[in-house]
Amino acid sequence: MGMTSTVPDVSVDLAPSNPRELVLRNPVIPASGCFGYGQEFAGAIDVQRLGAFVSKGITPEFRSGNPMLRIAETPSGMLNAIGLQNPGISRFIRKYPPMWATWEVPAIVNISAESVEDYEMMARRLDDVSGVAAIEVNISCPNINAGGFCFGWDARMSADVTRAVRRATTLPVIVKLSPGAVDVVEIAQAVEDAGADAVSLINTLVGMAIDVRKRAPVLANVTGGLSGPAVRPVALRMVWQVAGAVSIPVIGMGGISCVEDAIQFFMAGASAIQVGTAAFAQPKVLMELVDGIPAWLAANGYARLSDIVGVANPRYGTEPD
Amino acid sequence: MATELGTKLEFMGEIVRVEPVMGDSVLTTFVAPDWAVRAAEPGQFVQILSRDPQSTDPLLRRPYSVYRTDISAGTMTVLVRPYGRGSAWLCEQPLGAVLDVMGPLGSPFAVRPRTERLLMVAGGVGAAPLLMLSEVAVRAGKQVTYLMGAQDAGTLLPASELPEEVEYVVATIDGSMGHTGFVTDLVPAYLGWADQVFSCGPEPMFRSLRDVVHRHRLGDRPDVQMAVERPMACGIGACLGCVVETRRGMRTACVDGPAFDMDELIWG
Repeated sequence: MGMTSTVPDVSVDLAPSNPRELVLRNPVIPASGCFGYGQEFAGAIDVQRLGAFVSKGITPEFRSGNPMLRIAETPSGMLNAIGLQNPGISRFIRKYPPMWATWEVPAIVNISAESVEDYEMMARRLDDVSGVAAIEVNISCPNINAGGFCFGWDARMSADVTRAVRRATTLPVIVKLSPGAVDVVEIAQAVEDAGADAVSLINTLVGMAIDVRKRAPVLANVTGGLSGPAVRPVALRMVWQVAGAVSIPVIGMGGISCVEDAIQFFMAGASAIQVGTAAFAQPKVLMELVDGIPAWLAANGYARLSDIVGVANPRYGTEPD
Repeated sequence: MATELGTKLEFMGEIVRVEPVMGDSVLTTFVAPDWAVRAAEPGQFVQILSRDPQSTDPLLRRPYSVYRTDISAGTMTVLVRPYGRGSAWLCEQPLGAVLDVMGPLGSPFAVRPRTERLLMVAGGVGAAPLLMLSEVAVRAGKQVTYLMGAQDAGTLLPASELPEEVEYVVATIDGSMGHTGFVTDLVPAYLGWADQVFSCGPEPMFRSLRDVVHRHRLGDRPDVQMAVERPMACGIGACLGCVVETRRGMRTACVDGPAFDMDELIWG
């Protein structure tokens, strides 16, 4: 048993209780906002070899995004305040899913909105669109009906969004958690109870940088989302906490740049990983992960990826309180 | 030698020449695969990883305009000024060091087939893409006037870098060579002559050039293309971090640019 000389099984189902399931050949997923709509990287890597990918965040209407400057490099990381530049849900549906429907790699659509009704509307629009494999719900958005307070920082509001999206679609629903919440575990459990098929974390951490020569913030938006290796220990801790407290699959992300980083997230309890900032600098990192994760498993005597998921997390797989 | 990395845009290239130029800057020449050397056009850029591969800092690649390509030698050259941590690292890389390069990337300058007279307006390291454009244009039998501005004679592009067919006219702030003042002071005299104007340099120079052109040209000719510089992350149009506001909306400097028509740009 378990003794095998074949390539380790790295496939994963990220929506095991959903009849439409979300089965990936491997656990490597470029993260939303870091991979455009997939075609941008087609000149650099073999996109079809990925486990899946997540589109740029889509909103109900067209958004031109924030003014420049939108990005700033920080120690082993970067800040971004792109401002969800995107064509809006209608033009998006016409433009990209028809192309994805011809692809082998599953496409996950990331959605952002400022009201529960808009999240629900977008999920309904996407439900039967060919080429869309799943929805990732970005809850790190301001709720205009709650004075702009971030959905993802409040368990009840996070659950409201999740429930509305769940009502509107039978597609697998992944809720992307915000690290700005006081208690990310409480949010994760709330969205699990509200019907999420999986959670992904972490979104970026809010940060800023100041240009001392100009005596002003570097980013036009003043604050931006911090990503890259700088956030990895924080992300790993949150993945570890959440994976020990929910029964649905956890997708870990935050500064993953190499195979060993990815293995840490699996050991913390992540069933799959997303990669963002690292692919900006080196698209080949995605291919190194696709090849390197099974190679690491084989070299360490594992037959399946699931054999290492949660091994460093005593609470993983136990019944939540 | 150049090593392909199994991706279609990324390669490893050994540095074969490092020459000091323009004061504190260097011309770094590295080996590149044949497809990359042949594909590179004036105005395009390469993204160079500017850190030890074991390190994660500085995290992002740095974009450099292609300064020169040599198809027979299989090399590419970039002009690097040690402005920040990444460029300082690159300036220090010795002969034999191997660079991780992506490219060529971006949309090049567009020279219309009927254009015979090209005017270049360069400031600082903006000299780089215009040097390559000059070499290509001269090879195609076109006439080139290359205007360059710098702080002093020591930070100008040496005339020996340009093909001898190019008319090279310079301006220095301190008056140590050529016209005393800004490069854009030189532009009006050439606007009637040029079929097209190509420019690369710092933002204040672009603004000054725009003002001068608006004041002195007749109608919308000659047209002016500007290769803009923006901080970049991915370099392939995915992150939307490097956008430029244009009459057609937010466009990326890395894919839609770096070269844009001046009249398309919206100036904040």
